[in-house]
Amino acid sequence: MEALIGLFGELFGLEGTLALSAAYAVCIGSILGFVTVYSMFAIWMERKVAAHIQVRMGPMVTGGWHGWAQSVADAVKLLFKEDIIPTRANAFMFWIAPAVVFCGVFAGLIVVPFAVGVQVVDLHLGVFFIIAIASIEVIGVIIAGWASNSKYSLFGAVREAAQVVSYEIPTATALLVPILVVGSFRLNDFNTWQAEHHWLIFHSPWLAMAALIFFISSLAGCKRAPFDLPEAESELVSGFHTEYSGMRFSFFFLEEYTSMFVAALLTATLWFGGFNLPFVDSSAWHPALAMPIGIVVLLAKTFFFIFVQMWLRWTLPRLRVDQVMSMGYKYLVPWAFVALIATAVWDYYGWGWLPL
Amino acid sequence: MGAIRDYFGNISSALTSTAKGMGVTLRHYRKEPPITIQYPFERFPVPDRYRGLHILEQEKCIDCKLCAKACPVDCIEIEAEHHGRILEWTQFSIDYKKCIFCEFCIPPCPVDCIHMTTEYELATEDPDGMVEDLLTWTGLRPQDQRALEEAAARKAGKVVPDAAASKPSAEGTSAEDMAAKIAAIKARMGKKD
Repeated sequence: MEALIGLFGELFGLEGTLALSAAYAVCIGSILGFVTVYSMFAIWMERKVAAHIQVRMGPMVTGGWHGWAQSVADAVKLLFKEDIIPTRANAFMFWIAPAVVFCGVFAGLIVVPFAVGVQVVDLHLGVFFIIAIASIEVIGVIIAGWASNSKYSLFGAVREAAQVVSYEIPTATALLVPILVVGSFRLNDFNTWQAEHHWLIFHSPWLAMAALIFFISSLAGCKRAPFDLPEAESELVSGFHTEYSGMRFSFFFLEEYTSMFVAALLTATLWFGGFNLPFVDSSAWHPALAMPIGIVVLLAKTFFFIFVQMWLRWTLPRLRVDQVMSMGYKYLVPWAFVALIATAVWDYYGWGWLPL
Repeated sequence: MGAIRDYFGNISSALTSTAKGMGVTLRHYRKEPPITIQYPFERFPVPDRYRGLHILEQEKCIDCKLCAKACPVDCIEIEAEHHGRILEWTQFSIDYKKCIFCEFCIPPCPVDCIHMTTEYELATEDPDGMVEDLLTWTGLRPQDQRALEEAAARKAGKVVPDAAASKPSAEGTSAEDMAAKIAAIKARMGKKD
């Protein structure tokens, strides 16, 4: 970010606010482009993973090699579809809901360190910011459900809000566990701490448990299977986006895959070493070398967790609504608090993986 | 105690069953080859006795209409004018909107002239196009026309000057195509004449 501001100052003679605005525009634009391309790739990947798990082939024709352009073709189709707003819907709210939903998740990406120095803003409360800004998504969902003026949409929005708000408790509590160990909310500090010590997943059993709890509850937060009850396409009519079609609908899709990305990214950064390679000390490397390697390593870890999310989706059947709630409140919340308190005690005495 | 045992039992069964299920799906993901094929580019082999579209050997057909009578849904329409043993065809069509592919039309045929092929792609955008015309020629073939003219001339007491000119070589190309097509289908179905 600072480097970009300096670059604009040097190249174009921009100063102060103008250079800042230009640098922000470039950063946001590149992240937006990345998210779009990533979403297309993730949708294609999801279809391929699903197909191979079900002993099928998936898209094979479009674009030549294994149907790689299928998502591009779908996106073009969605762009050209008719833009339908139901007659009795509240047009303004209907229009703004996909934007609110997408912005909430998308804003979380600006604090993520992709590699050394590849970060838009290095917030001191980075983890907190991601969790807080991702909650805006629920507001967008409720707006969408209400503005559609359809009973299916309204019930879908209520279901989804109930689930996502419930699962924010275990998500946030599980995130507190590594924060307790590292002693910072800043995402960069997790990278440096794990580069100096070890990956946090190996710190103690309680951190591994917190990672599992975070992963499960982030699945529920992303409305992924087995917690995709709010928008169960096969049984209930798609929940809150029943009335949406075309490009607006694809924004909800984009949001789903971006929130998967953020969840996987947080798992990789907080527990699995971020952009650090295992067993390799990269702190002394030249930035020009460390930067691309860091991005590749972080993306590889992230895509591994995205793959696990897809793998889980095509393995487990969907949970019933009471099962979702009892899983959240009876199992994940208590154990998240157990992990938090146990980590406090564990680290106070300075025990390692096994207290010997 | 029962409740506590249930609680921890739930946790352990959730973890073990998820792990087991993920093992199964991973095995499918990695090991099992796809059981589907890329349909328009490759096809499953069709059994020889598959009941697909019909084909008619028109030169054998004697217009007995037994196939049409046997048809339970009345989808076969046959019309021909008889000039002695020579038939002047106007219609032999099967309405595939009605046809149920029961094969009841095949056994009654006394001259074994109607067959079913292995063609199964019947989808069309035009419902009217589903009435399939099985005739490869309509009306009279040139040699039939000549044969009729000769017969009429003989009846009138005249001598036909150039009978050698009406050889089978004068047959229409469509009839030759038909013969080749039927031969190919018979070869595919392993049938003997």
